[in-house]
Amino acid sequence: MSERTKETSATAVDIESAAPGTEGRRVDVDGTTEMIEQARPEALEYDYTNFYFGAGDDAFALLEPFDDWWEEVQPAGYYLYELPLHSAPGTRVDVKDTKTGDIRRGLVNFASYNYLGLSYRPEVKEAIKEAADTYGGGSSGSPILSGTTALHRRFAREIADFKGKEDALIFPTGYSANVGTIAGLMRSGDLIVADQYAHASIVDGMILSKAKSRFFRHNRPDDLERKLSGFEGKKLVIIEGVYSMDGDLPPLAEIVEICRRHGARLMIDEAHSAFVFGETGKGVTEHLGLDEEVDIHLGTFSKSLGGQGGYIAGSRRLVNYLRGFSRSRFFSCALSPVIVAGLRKALELAREEPELRERLWENVAYMRQLLGEAEVPTGDSESQVIPIMVRDDARIFSMAEEIFREGVFINPVKYPAVGKHKSRFRMSISAAHSREELEEGAEKIVKVLRRYEICP
Amino acid sequence: MPIVSSYRFHTGVSAFFDMATSDARALLPEHLEPIEVTHQRSVLSVTAFLFDDSVVGPYTELMFSVVVPPMVAQWGKHAKAGFFPFLAATSSEEARRIKGERFHFPYHEESIDAQFIETDARLRIRVFGAGDPILDLSVTPGAWETTTHLLQGFMMNGEERLRTTLQISGDYTVHEEEAGEMMLFPHQITSGILTQEVSPQPFREHWFKNGTEVFHQLETI
Repeated sequence: MSERTKETSATAVDIESAAPGTEGRRVDVDGTTEMIEQARPEALEYDYTNFYFGAGDDAFALLEPFDDWWEEVQPAGYYLYELPLHSAPGTRVDVKDTKTGDIRRGLVNFASYNYLGLSYRPEVKEAIKEAADTYGGGSSGSPILSGTTALHRRFAREIADFKGKEDALIFPTGYSANVGTIAGLMRSGDLIVADQYAHASIVDGMILSKAKSRFFRHNRPDDLERKLSGFEGKKLVIIEGVYSMDGDLPPLAEIVEICRRHGARLMIDEAHSAFVFGETGKGVTEHLGLDEEVDIHLGTFSKSLGGQGGYIAGSRRLVNYLRGFSRSRFFSCALSPVIVAGLRKALELAREEPELRERLWENVAYMRQLLGEAEVPTGDSESQVIPIMVRDDARIFSMAEEIFREGVFINPVKYPAVGKHKSRFRMSISAAHSREELEEGAEKIVKVLRRYEICP
Repeated sequence: MPIVSSYRFHTGVSAFFDMATSDARALLPEHLEPIEVTHQRSVLSVTAFLFDDSVVGPYTELMFSVVVPPMVAQWGKHAKAGFFPFLAATSSEEARRIKGERFHFPYHEESIDAQFIETDARLRIRVFGAGDPILDLSVTPGAWETTTHLLQGFMMNGEERLRTTLQISGDYTVHEEEAGEMMLFPHQITSGILTQEVSPQPFREHWFKNGTEVFHQLETI
């Protein structure tokens, strides 16, 4: 199913059904018609959720049916995930097309989280090299045993200072920060209420904590109020600063008020909003003037700082307790000192160059303008994460493939990552994008969306 | 697997609501696990069909099920979803006698009346038992397509574990816009089946038109 045939063609855009007996379509790219074979339609109606449970006592019972399905659907679109980059995650990237074996060069990149373009800055790379000379590649131990270096200590203090909190705790990933914080703090018999669009790491932390878990309708304080009502005992509410699939913000003032009234502690995951929102970049809590009203500030270093890891910032007592009870940190190897050195420099640059945030928001506004002029639907986004709402589960992979071949790297998102008929492309804007790159990327995306009548 | 029964329908609806997993587990036999849509929340399916041709003629049917994983074989023969019906009701005594004997669906003994009120933007289903309201369900359409769904139904006959494969074909729309609504009224049929809150809004709305529902022979599992 993965074979592809090439034939010359007129340059006009040509999308048509394949010959009888084959499932496929032809796509004209740069004067060459590429025959892209398709999986049977029923194959694409299935997804990962169909292979989660299965009958039988063999732990491997699902492997063969999943493998058979995967063989069929992978070339029809799933191959577009986990494509290997052959360059830094800059504004243009070289990406291996695993279907053809070609490396597609210079694609405009809207798929990386590098919101401030810091991961490949020369100063960051230099700091990384210096740390590698001093410390070598890894930390070689748990943070509570031998894995903490002087760099880790300094970086934790710098994060606390940046966030304006008494202390901070560094985790090896954002995932482990959520899991370790939630399961470290909450116990069986307690109540956790999270927004229904909360990240998987929040959900997994809730499961691990064994606390009673509830989810309120996305950004609906009235539903949060209902879910908190009547419960006696320890309560934790968890929201995000920017929701990663929609780019929207929480109604923080109302949520804070409800939490206070119900005696619930409030935790915010600012994975996508720290270092970019707010006057000094602290995050959405600063942006909305409610920084002191939130009890636990969590974030990641893999988004705006372009590195890896996660943190929580808050009171000294909170951090001290979690240092002892966050199993995901306790039992993981500490972040590599090489990564920490790069993060320290990236944080320094983010603090010293507020113009990076200004440029990011200018770029966001410009992209919104470009997409708006083309009448591309972008949902309720208020951030640098802009969903392009395609709402066509059956054809999103076809669109994604064509956008990729036009020269744009952007991720398709479909069920079960988002709801049925809520398929979209998730566009991440960076301060490092030039105007020309934004224009080129928007033009190529719009060209494909028009073919599919997503926009006029 | 031989076909046992085929029913032609004018309209069919399956609305998915999240329900407490503890309630779902209480309704399921030991060998079935509920699917969880989020941690500790499983899926309640409320199904209503207006059959316009069957062995007993036209009739309406209401069914409450817990959504469970289908049993996987080769993926190509794999059902999209599995259901364990724990409560059903029909407008036809003969229909529930036949389906009860063939498929062991847990039918309520008294007949119901169901109204299917369709407008362009909404389908409203009102169900009554002896004149008293039981349920008021509304669903809305997304994009329509013609499709066939392969599903699995799980039943119990005493201690015997049973499964049927059913195929639903017809015009179909599904979405997760949370535009529908359900109101359950206090009634003998619905009382006591759920101890905890069920969301009044379906998180997924399936709507079929002008199709067939085909049941295959029961298998013991």
